[in-house]
Amino acid sequence: MTFNLRNSIIFLSLAIIILMGSLTIYSVTSIDVDSFLRFLLINIFVILFVVLLFNQINLNRIFSFGWLLFLLNILLVLSVEVFGKEINGSKRWLDFGFLSLQPSEFMKITYALFVTQYLRFYNFKFSKLRSIFLLSVLFISALPIIAQPDLGTGLVYVILGLMFLFICGMHRFYFITMGVFAVLFSPLIYTFGLTAYQKGRIMSWFSSDQSLSEKWNILQSEISIGSGGLAGEGFLNSKQNEFNFLPEADTDFIFSIYAEQFGFIGVFLILILLGCFIVMTTFLTMTEKRLTSDLSPYYIGTYCTFVIGFSFLLNILMVSGMIPVVGLPLPFFTKGGSSLLCFSIMLGLIFTSREFLK
Amino acid sequence: MKGNKIQIYQTRTNILIGLFVLILTLVTARFFYLQIVKGNELKELRERNINAFEYIYPKRGRILSEDGIVLAEDRKVFSLAVDIEQKPSEQSIKKLANLFPDKIEVENLKLKVGNSIKFRRPETIIERLTQKDLAKYLVGGTDITGFSVVEGYERQYNSHPSIFHVLGHMGYINNSDVQYFLPRISEYNSKIWKKVGKSGIERVYEESLQGQHGKRFFQRNARGDRKVITDIAPFKEGEDLSISINFAAQKLAYELMNERKGSIVVIDLEDFSIPVAISTPSISANDLRDISSSQYQDLLNDPTRPLFNRAFMGLYPPASAIKPLLTIFALNNEYTNWTETILDDGFFRFEEEERVFNAWREGGHGLTDLEKALVESSNPFFMNLSIRYEKDLFVEFLKSSSFGSKLCEDCYPHQFSPLINDDWKYKNFGKELYKGDFINLGVGQGYMLTTPLHLALISAILANRGEYELPYLVLKKQNKLSIKEDLSEEDWNKLHSALINVVYSKNGTGYRINAGELNLAGKSGTAQVVDIDSREEYDEVRANPLLRDHAIFIGFAPYDNPRYSIAVIVENGESGGRVAGPIAKKVLEELLNDF
Repeated sequence: MTFNLRNSIIFLSLAIIILMGSLTIYSVTSIDVDSFLRFLLINIFVILFVVLLFNQINLNRIFSFGWLLFLLNILLVLSVEVFGKEINGSKRWLDFGFLSLQPSEFMKITYALFVTQYLRFYNFKFSKLRSIFLLSVLFISALPIIAQPDLGTGLVYVILGLMFLFICGMHRFYFITMGVFAVLFSPLIYTFGLTAYQKGRIMSWFSSDQSLSEKWNILQSEISIGSGGLAGEGFLNSKQNEFNFLPEADTDFIFSIYAEQFGFIGVFLILILLGCFIVMTTFLTMTEKRLTSDLSPYYIGTYCTFVIGFSFLLNILMVSGMIPVVGLPLPFFTKGGSSLLCFSIMLGLIFTSREFLK
Repeated sequence: MKGNKIQIYQTRTNILIGLFVLILTLVTARFFYLQIVKGNELKELRERNINAFEYIYPKRGRILSEDGIVLAEDRKVFSLAVDIEQKPSEQSIKKLANLFPDKIEVENLKLKVGNSIKFRRPETIIERLTQKDLAKYLVGGTDITGFSVVEGYERQYNSHPSIFHVLGHMGYINNSDVQYFLPRISEYNSKIWKKVGKSGIERVYEESLQGQHGKRFFQRNARGDRKVITDIAPFKEGEDLSISINFAAQKLAYELMNERKGSIVVIDLEDFSIPVAISTPSISANDLRDISSSQYQDLLNDPTRPLFNRAFMGLYPPASAIKPLLTIFALNNEYTNWTETILDDGFFRFEEEERVFNAWREGGHGLTDLEKALVESSNPFFMNLSIRYEKDLFVEFLKSSSFGSKLCEDCYPHQFSPLINDDWKYKNFGKELYKGDFINLGVGQGYMLTTPLHLALISAILANRGEYELPYLVLKKQNKLSIKEDLSEEDWNKLHSALINVVYSKNGTGYRINAGELNLAGKSGTAQVVDIDSREEYDEVRANPLLRDHAIFIGFAPYDNPRYSIAVIVENGESGGRVAGPIAKKVLEELLNDF
């Protein structure tokens, strides 16, 4: 990979986002400086290690393991039911002692790899049968995640899977049909498909009753964000965090704490950097002169970029009260091992695919 | 084919980039709105999240007697409470229970600790630690965590029972208290008070005694845990209150009653303050502090009614003690004069209704004029007068003598002496007042009822020659009053001389008082508890001590320059002159010698 201006901007953006993420985690979790430095070093090490590891592996070889990885992942998700650790009433994690993993996090990668392997065989020609097959696999594989129960992750997995099929060029007829069906059947799904807890979460978002706990969380999140003002309260000065008014400040709502500390300027900076990273990576990749007949690296690279971008935006939409709360981690702002590993793998795939193209 | 695929890929990536940029813009706008447009508003909400305060309970003002004795004061007490900031461990709970085995039960303690943490309200484990307990905890409890010694105040009263009714007592605030205080205390916040004055001075002067809460400002987290104390505004101590009671005389008065039921009230004629107001039997005000509800019920059901303040609430027939007041009325309206005489043969015959009324002395007083009727207390003379009274003038006169109106602004609870008029009789008996009713009213019996406070005031009216003010305990209400009638100086002198003769002439009903150099003037009274027709019947009635006549004495001293007026009522004491009078003498001696 060459260090031209474009790549430098992409790398710098990413590096600043990762640094800001680590600093915010440090400010929220009240760990000492030594632990923070260790944490930061581990973060950087994991990212670099994964990225460089993927750089060494032939992308074609990864693709050829697609279906195997996907199957393995589904089995891991299912095994959570048996061996999993229960947190907050749902089983999502596998505990390996030194690290607990949430296998459902990786489904969005392994499904894409599986699709790539499958379609490569047919030179990315979508027949009716193949389209329906891939869609069926997507929906069925989402069921164990939703059953954990983890509706948020399951829903995001399905949407991202569809996005990959969209990038790969599946006929727009399917997307339109599914869109129409989703709208038509949403009342039915809401009535029969959701648990009371899930309904409550959705209803609370539409309700104006401030006493509901979900609504309270969102209000506290908005208070954190708003208190930041233009310039922010300064690093380590989040009062909402200090006095524990923001629940799950170290996971789902971490961006609110970031916003309180660094203000609108800090938020704007992160959004600009994110925009630079996403747009430059995808737009410039797309307009490469040397597009070859095998577009699979493009597909996977573009997909991974958007996964990072949209995950980021969805989380921020959530904490700023614009969509209902779904447990969705903010990329590079989460101390969770699965999320870090998952997004590192995606970075690895992004950079490898770009390398592969040269 | 290849070109087509690339085109589709490019188009779709463009769509996704567009979508991404759109959402990115939306998010930026949202954060601009939250942080720049609504930033200050939300920051205000955050400050309200974090900053809170709690009240610091104030120290209540003291109540002092006129002679400088502390009658009530708040004393510092220490109690042991659960510290919810650092939850007590199982081990600490056991250790604490071992430290105070007679005061703490482990199970009960666990329950209290659990509740404290659950409701985030620290419960008290031991109320009022003694010096010994405190030392025991501070020395032996060094490794006990999760409990703390809390400082507070507790009302302590002078334990002499004579003072209970005047002072009143404190109790936990309830709805009726709130209803009482809301219109009387400006900006009354009932939620911040735990104990309030339930009766007496404690109730009437709640506002000045209570003081003002301090505030402890602190920052708290979402669970309500206190993190940092940011500021403290100290409480304002309640004002000290000096009341008109002369404690030495008050105590003496109580002891002179010698466990008989009754009441003594004295009014200082210089300013119409009340130096003595006792009601017997009574209790020590401290006894009500930790009383159980069954014990309280026992006190309420006690037939001697120790909680009832007879001085301001007890209604007694004034009997003959009302005669001097009615003399003023009779003289001024020329119903009689000092020279008119009647033959008192021990009976009064009311011809209109063909009724005969007995007088108290067998055989009567013989030829009787007004002076003799007062000195020897002739009922037939006054009955004979009373059938001449015009109803409207009589009622007006009673009204001007404070019948049917409030006698004292700061005596609580407080009862009017009923104003007997047609309205009153209609309300109670459905009829108007008859002439016959006046025969009883004229000798202070029948419907006529007065409180001891009112009797003392009537005595003051006599001493002060018709001018009077409303008596008070703390604050004087400046309003000069006078009775409707205006006697000549000569008539007043004659009336006073008759009242002096009651005490100093051999025939006087109060001669046995042996008033000596006290220079006492007065009038005795003997109020019937039950209606009887003959003396023989009374001998039967006497067998039951509770049905014996009430002994009454009103008076003032010194008669040449009156300083104090007094009313003494001894329930079932039978003889006003012999029983109530000597008590009045000793109380007045104490007050005058003290001066």
